[in-house]
Amino acid sequence: MVSDPSPPRDVSAATDATMPGIEIRGLGFSIGSFAMEGLDLTVARDEYCVLTGPNGAGKTLLVRLICGLHFPAAGTISIDGAAVQDAPPWERGIGYVPQDGILFPNRDVRGNIAFGLEVRKVPTEERDTLVQEKAERMGIAHLLDRRPGGLSGGERQKVCIARALVFGPRVVLLDEPVSAIDESARDDVCRLLRAMRDERPVTVLHVSHNSRETELVADRVVNMRAGGIVDGHVCRQAGERVAEGTAS
Amino acid sequence: MSQAKSYDSAFDRFLAVPLAGYILLIVVLVGGVFSRITWDSVRAAFGEDALLPAIWLTIVTSLASTALSAAVALPSGYVLARRRFPAQVVVDTLLDMPIVLPPLIMGLSILIFFNTSVGRFIDRGIWDEGLFIYQPAGIVLVQFVIGCAIATRVVKAGFEALDPRYEEMAMSLGANRPKAFYKVVLPSILPSLLAATVISWARIFGLFGPVLLVAGTMARRTQIMPTTVYLETSSGNLDVALVVGAMMILISAATLVAFKKLGGKGLIW
Repeated sequence: MVSDPSPPRDVSAATDATMPGIEIRGLGFSIGSFAMEGLDLTVARDEYCVLTGPNGAGKTLLVRLICGLHFPAAGTISIDGAAVQDAPPWERGIGYVPQDGILFPNRDVRGNIAFGLEVRKVPTEERDTLVQEKAERMGIAHLLDRRPGGLSGGERQKVCIARALVFGPRVVLLDEPVSAIDESARDDVCRLLRAMRDERPVTVLHVSHNSRETELVADRVVNMRAGGIVDGHVCRQAGERVAEGTAS
Repeated sequence: MSQAKSYDSAFDRFLAVPLAGYILLIVVLVGGVFSRITWDSVRAAFGEDALLPAIWLTIVTSLASTALSAAVALPSGYVLARRRFPAQVVVDTLLDMPIVLPPLIMGLSILIFFNTSVGRFIDRGIWDEGLFIYQPAGIVLVQFVIGCAIATRVVKAGFEALDPRYEEMAMSLGANRPKAFYKVVLPSILPSLLAATVISWARIFGLFGPVLLVAGTMARRTQIMPTTVYLETSSGNLDVALVVGAMMILISAATLVAFKKLGGKGLIW
């Protein structure tokens, strides 16, 4: 039995289980002419929340702020009850899948997926098993020895998803994670994402423009426009926890 | 398909004419050096006591200054490519100075610096004979001043071409800044670092004027291959100068070919 590797200095690791998975209050940030002011968002613990909105609404920016790749000018970001707005990304213990399927060019697929385990000093044998398991689950086991340069957009996104999930993060941020996957396989990957969330409790914030994708995975949908949350609705009753999540 | 190919290749041939002319010029010039070399001139060159120490000193000093240049260029190139700071334009312009200024001016500047009280202290404060002026370390210093600017430029260009999101991804996956740099940035920048090393070495290897000014050309002490060519030409030993020149051409060509072969095989990038 392989243990679930935990992040080394994850500020959200020892937190209150009754707190929301992601809680954002009064978030302020500006970049160029774009400004985000007083943004509030709560994603219940273990909820699968889909964030939608037009291009330029600030969805990717919000994800990057939660991830720690930008630091907010105002407001708080809490992960499982722990304030992380000032913590660097490596201390937040978040699994992040960016747009465009960015993979490390100097590593093969196996090395890419293993990265989060490697920096957490997971023993090699355990690491290999976890990588193999996750790759098989994502249907990319045959690509493990390939270099990123030879992969299609869809394959790259699957590797990114495996890489973000393999180290067992408590919170996962997916920024249009299946946009490059062909339509026939997209439903399967969405079902897989949902199944993984159901098997192992994890809070997910998933950015998507696709209604079919949203329908397949979401407990709740939140709409964003011009740097703020405009509305949200529960779209499946997956349990009491889902009902706790509110778009404020 | 064949029509398009025919059209393209005719146009390509037209564009290749200047290249062919230039390559021909290089072949004629380099070939001219080798055509004048005879076994007697080779024997005469290696009969000179100072030649082997000069070859050895050329290799040691050029490798030392190249290593120093690469060590400084790596962090410098990163900071210049990734960060914005006050007076960046000034720093950038200063970095171009050793590249655009005639090497002789850089040599003169080094000589003038060591003529100031601070320079004299650095040069002779520890050791009476001096550390840099008319010393092998002076050769390394001159080569480093010019080579480092070139290496930094090449490494900076490499960092600029490298997507900063790789580093962000590494950090989001749990790697702190040094770990992200070591595990993701450094391996990805290796081709640029290697290119910087080879390009700056190629520039350093043949450096002559500023070396002569700062370190002189004392046999078995500060004489290197470029200064040997100068000395032998000045004293009328053109045959010996040509042999040393030919050796420099062969060493440079071998290094550049090895660099390209390693790169082409994907061993380095």
